[in-house]
Amino acid sequence: MAKWGMVIDLDKCTGCQACTTACSMENNTLPGETWQDVLYYNAGEYPSGQMKWLPRPCMQCENPSCVHVCPTRATYKDPDAGGIVFVDWNKCIGCKYCMIACPYGVRFYADEKPLIEPDIRDVFPSDNAQLWSPPYQNPEEDWRRGIGIQPKGVVSKCTFCYHKVKHAPEGIADLDEDNPDVKEYVPACVRTCAPKARYFGDLDNPESQVNQLIGDKHGVRLKDHTGNKPQVYYLGAGAGVPAFTPADKENNA
Amino acid sequence: MKLFQTLINRRRFLQSSAAVGASAGAVATGITGLKGFSPVSEARAQAPRGETTITKNVCAQCPARCGIDVYTTDGRVHAIYGTSDNPISNGKLCPKGHLGSYFLYDPDRFKGPMKRTNPNKGRDEDPGFVPISWEEALDTVAERLNDLRRRGESHRFSMFYGRGWGSSDAGIQYPFGELYGTPNAAIGHSSMCADGSKKAKQATDGNSSYSSYDYRNANYLLIIGASFLEAFRPYNNVMQMWGHMRTKSPKTRVTTVDVRMSPTMAASDRALYIKPGTDGAFALAIAHVILTEGLWDREFVGDFTNPNRQFVGGRRIPANSFNEKWVHGLADWWNEELLERTPEWAEEITGINAEDIRRTAIEFGSTRPAVALFERGATGHSNGTYNGMAIHSLNALVGSLFAEGGIGYQVAPSYGALPVEVSDYMDDYAKNGAWKDQPRIDMKGTDRWPMVGNMMQECAINHLNADPYTLDTAMFYYTNPIWSAPNPQVWEEALKNVFIIDTSPFPGETAMYADIVLPDCTYLERTQDVPTYPFEGWPMAELRTPAVEPIHDTKMYGDVIIELGKRIDGPMGDYYRELGSVENYIRHLAAGFADDPGDNGVDGFESWKEKGVWYKKPYKWRQIRGEFYEWDGQRYSRQMSAEEVQEHLLKTPSGKFEVRSGFLEEHAAYIEEELGIPRERAGLVQWVAPVYTGGDGDLHFITPKTPLHAEGRGANIPQQMMVHQPIVGGRNTVYLEVHPETAKARGINNGDRVRISSDIGSIEAECRFVASHRPDTLVLPFEYGHWAQGRWAKGRGPGNSSEITANISDPISGLASYYTGKVKLERA
Amino acid sequence: MTAQTHKNALQGPLGWGLLVIAGVVLLVSLGYAISQIMAHGHTSFNTSSVLPWGQPIATYVFFALASSGLGLLAALPLVFGFKQYYPVAKRCIFLAFALLISGMSVLALELGHVFRMLWVIPMNLQVQSAMFWMGLFYALDLIFLLWKFSKLQGGHWDSKTAKQVGIASFIGVLLASGNLALIFGMMSMRPFWFDALMPVYFYITAITSAIAVLLFLTYLAYGFKRERMPSALQALLTGALPKLFATSIGLTLLFILVRAITGLYSNNPEISIVWTDYLFDSGVYIAALLIGLLLPFVVLLSKLRNGIGIQVLAALLVTFAIFAERFYFVVGGQVVPLFKGTWVPNLISYSPSATEWSLTVFGFSLCLVLYLLGEKFLHLGDMPSHIANKSAQPGTAEAAA
Repeated sequence: MAKWGMVIDLDKCTGCQACTTACSMENNTLPGETWQDVLYYNAGEYPSGQMKWLPRPCMQCENPSCVHVCPTRATYKDPDAGGIVFVDWNKCIGCKYCMIACPYGVRFYADEKPLIEPDIRDVFPSDNAQLWSPPYQNPEEDWRRGIGIQPKGVVSKCTFCYHKVKHAPEGIADLDEDNPDVKEYVPACVRTCAPKARYFGDLDNPESQVNQLIGDKHGVRLKDHTGNKPQVYYLGAGAGVPAFTPADKENNA
Repeated sequence: MKLFQTLINRRRFLQSSAAVGASAGAVATGITGLKGFSPVSEARAQAPRGETTITKNVCAQCPARCGIDVYTTDGRVHAIYGTSDNPISNGKLCPKGHLGSYFLYDPDRFKGPMKRTNPNKGRDEDPGFVPISWEEALDTVAERLNDLRRRGESHRFSMFYGRGWGSSDAGIQYPFGELYGTPNAAIGHSSMCADGSKKAKQATDGNSSYSSYDYRNANYLLIIGASFLEAFRPYNNVMQMWGHMRTKSPKTRVTTVDVRMSPTMAASDRALYIKPGTDGAFALAIAHVILTEGLWDREFVGDFTNPNRQFVGGRRIPANSFNEKWVHGLADWWNEELLERTPEWAEEITGINAEDIRRTAIEFGSTRPAVALFERGATGHSNGTYNGMAIHSLNALVGSLFAEGGIGYQVAPSYGALPVEVSDYMDDYAKNGAWKDQPRIDMKGTDRWPMVGNMMQECAINHLNADPYTLDTAMFYYTNPIWSAPNPQVWEEALKNVFIIDTSPFPGETAMYADIVLPDCTYLERTQDVPTYPFEGWPMAELRTPAVEPIHDTKMYGDVIIELGKRIDGPMGDYYRELGSVENYIRHLAAGFADDPGDNGVDGFESWKEKGVWYKKPYKWRQIRGEFYEWDGQRYSRQMSAEEVQEHLLKTPSGKFEVRSGFLEEHAAYIEEELGIPRERAGLVQWVAPVYTGGDGDLHFITPKTPLHAEGRGANIPQQMMVHQPIVGGRNTVYLEVHPETAKARGINNGDRVRISSDIGSIEAECRFVASHRPDTLVLPFEYGHWAQGRWAKGRGPGNSSEITANISDPISGLASYYTGKVKLERA
Repeated sequence: MTAQTHKNALQGPLGWGLLVIAGVVLLVSLGYAISQIMAHGHTSFNTSSVLPWGQPIATYVFFALASSGLGLLAALPLVFGFKQYYPVAKRCIFLAFALLISGMSVLALELGHVFRMLWVIPMNLQVQSAMFWMGLFYALDLIFLLWKFSKLQGGHWDSKTAKQVGIASFIGVLLASGNLALIFGMMSMRPFWFDALMPVYFYITAITSAIAVLLFLTYLAYGFKRERMPSALQALLTGALPKLFATSIGLTLLFILVRAITGLYSNNPEISIVWTDYLFDSGVYIAALLIGLLLPFVVLLSKLRNGIGIQVLAALLVTFAIFAERFYFVVGGQVVPLFKGTWVPNLISYSPSATEWSLTVFGFSLCLVLYLLGEKFLHLGDMPSHIANKSAQPGTAEAAA
């Protein structure tokens, strides 16, 4: 079985957030519940200031701290699904411990105050057990893997678009959106990336393009000191997360 | 944890627990009962579903015209991706594209035609809309139009449009005006959009158009005031090219000049901050260095007759010493303007270090192919046309015009002829009626605005002043000037006594003034032809195919025009009866492809619908080492004569790139009067100081377009609002971006609510510090401040930036000076 | 009825009155919380995806640890033979039970799917999760508490089974509260919590809060009149207990001080900023430290420590301080946004919603109702007869039937 991995080349990424909106529409996340976010960081000062950004999906860690803490095994890493970390919405009790344990902040508890009002959950109220029912809902659904629109009281997260990826031909090295045979199986964020800053493929296959890129361009994993060993690698300048400084303190000259 | 891991064979557990999960869910339901705590949670797996169909469409959230695949299952649109074999989108999309389903299912959309019951109009007036039938709606409008025509006042009917797509919507308006009898049938928004760059190009190379670019082969980009990685057309493709340019060999080097920190500035190799409105001075200094360093492209520009001669700063050259090839007026340009435009001179004006200017010039001048591109940042000022001309002249100096890796213009598609001729259906009134003597309401083409393409922003004040006359009835398509025009307060007053027809599917501000609402379909429900905006030059036309039947009782704008036309008295009605419908119209356009099939085999309506696009590569012409060639089907082999170049490419009076513009010289008297430039100098590409608007404010006010801004129609999309302004984390609102020093000098802290004022008004916003902005420049991305437009948009702060933007325009291009305002900042 | 017939004030009309008041508060707060949760789900909370654990979790931690502290206190006489603590042993056991039930009830209303927990946890046995072990050991703790209480209720103070149950209960308490500590202490991605000594810190603060709760409720039981108390209890309250109280407050302060110093010294903003910009930026937190812990500590060190008013006041202040400490501890570990860039540019702000407050009020009122019922019907002042009789004074015989 493949070990699915993603490579994000920050030298090509333009920070446009198409990955974010593609994800939110493919997975029908609530406004602001961005499974795939683009994080911006500002530093320095005119006329030499800098701004950098990095897209942040779930890292689908090889050694996921979120999985270890889940008291019910609702969140699990599935070696038969390329090592993707899922949440089983039939088993999640909503204790949110995994959200505490994830160093990357990529888990969501959508049963929270609306991040924008009016609450879209009231505009498109649920007609079944799920949290809301937008008319544009993706028909794909698999609650055992956290695919679809979640019910109340459970944690949700990026699934590497497993509902697409699962159709990938056995043994394929790369899911490249430019290959018309497999474009429908490519995760939404990778498929739409206009500057082609994202690549998706099998990390267990030394022939894969993702491994080639990681090798050639010195791929790094974010927050590697946590030992979580992400299956998402970053290339290029800016693959680091600045230390946190509260913004209201930042520019106190 | 490792220890524990070995304790339990987790695979076994996963398997057994999954099975238990599936069966025990039902049990849990029985136990819980309390809906709120623990909702019904039967184990759900994939539900049975209908077949998914993919229809071809064209995104409508900006003018780029990305071909999209619309995924529909069980009658519901649920996904939008770029079309793989579409030359613009290539399977990709920008962040706006995916949100298209929100437009279709916007809960605030108009559900059908309506009429107003409250005669009073204003922000706080409820229109009191009541639904009516299409029949009644169209008859009401037609009756009004027929009545105007009978009274000989048909010119008082005006049709305003913004984002026209092709000949089947905006295109239908033109014959409507001719047949009906109004000069105002197609007042476009281009003067509130980007006419400055078109005019700068018209004045220099004779093409009144945006350019096409060959980024794929460019090795240097000099981006000036263009928000390349946020808003430059076609954004999606520009980003694809960015990924290519930044990884190809050799890597395309990029210098960006802008008034603020932006993703484009951040991603460039060199970011230069410029004082707003002074881009022309920067470009002139670049030109100065290119000439003095001897870096100009001799094969395109020409050379001294004596090869030992040089351009030396401050020193004139003899008038006949330079042998001009494709650039007209170079010696004059140098002698009358450029020789003093040193980097040191420009540093004083632009604030950019002379050394940085010199370095940039040497890089730009010594890297081929190199492209200088610009947009509203440089042209949205009183001196915008001259700024644009100065920048565009750099393309001439390095020989990029029509070259590989350079810049060109768009060729129109091979459309078929319509089944009807306008001239066959004109009655005497249409041909000779009183309307013929009336100017357009915007005074385009009169002494007031002799050089402009449109002047929509003038219509409200002209109506209020009854100069040239007042409007009686106005119809709006894809434009909302009552909110988006500079100083829209005037529009709010002006439109109160005009009979308004709005065609937007969404409840915008104009609709709140409407007497009749004739709601359009959203783009996912339309059949519509969409010829490309300037892209790579070769002809291309796309087609929208409805993904679903209209989900509400709406009608495509083109069909509304046709239906209205049928109801106008006289032969005009026959014209539209003959035209039939938009679909029939488009079938006639597509018939043209039979004789000129596209590269993808599209040769008629059905194949066009299937592929979504017709196109023919490559670009027909190319300039190679100073000579122009035409494509013969195999290669660029047929050399063109100077006359052919003038006819197809350099459409100026001289047939060359003009740094002394014949077009401007034709209007030298007007330019002298408006800009104070001595008429003998009017044609020169030159530095003209900007006139800032807004009163005695001490800060520049910049309102850029973000990647999420869907031309005013995205304002009611919560998903968009939550990722709108990543630079400072603007979600739910848009923050004013301000330099911390500037804020602190006014006692303002990060996050405070502030008031921004000009001499025409003030708005409020929350601020966030961006230390990498210019301290003298405030940045407020425009999007919000709506008082209508839907439940999410309405009342969402900050205020509408247009309300503090004076209605002042570049006298040459007519482009509204959106980016030239000065304001004051204080704590609110 | 007179005070003479009931030494224990709560068995009289005061008890009924308080029971009615607490019962009403309980019903109102629970009713409000449930109606909000049923109508709006967890949108009625002010927690969010960036700060998932809020005051209900802090309330649970407070109750669970106070319960554990009481369990540890009870072990002093029942396991380790510190006889002077016998007069509060039964009350400790019952209170530990009442507090644990209250804590668990609050937690249940905080979870997304509480009833699902009942089957998925045993079915899946995720032994890697500290939360699994915490749940397991608190469940055992609850059983042992009930078992032990039934022994004491039956008068079996020193039987072999009682001893064994006592030891088991003691170990259960240590494991339960220790695992609760590890839930936080093992989170290396939340450096503010990441601390191998977290269990020790939890034990100490557990005991501090336990004594505070015990002191207050014991005085309440006797109408704040020491003369009504059995002499052995009087001896404890003027002897060992206030000293132990002072010691545990002192150790609590010491632990906080050490954590604060290492935290402030650290360059890691995920620790130091929590101290500078969140904890020490909060008036409530500083008040909890100075007035809620330091002041009682200083006063209890002095001779004043045996005064009733002083002890009651100290008990109230410390209860408030430890509750605040729990809140700031739980929230403090989350206020630094993880990996959010400009989207969350400052510390995450959180203050509990009305629903979350109602859960806290519900927890306290449930605990009080249970306690009042216990005092009324279960003779929580019982002690072994040899203790009761040792310093026999007139009228010290308990009302045990």
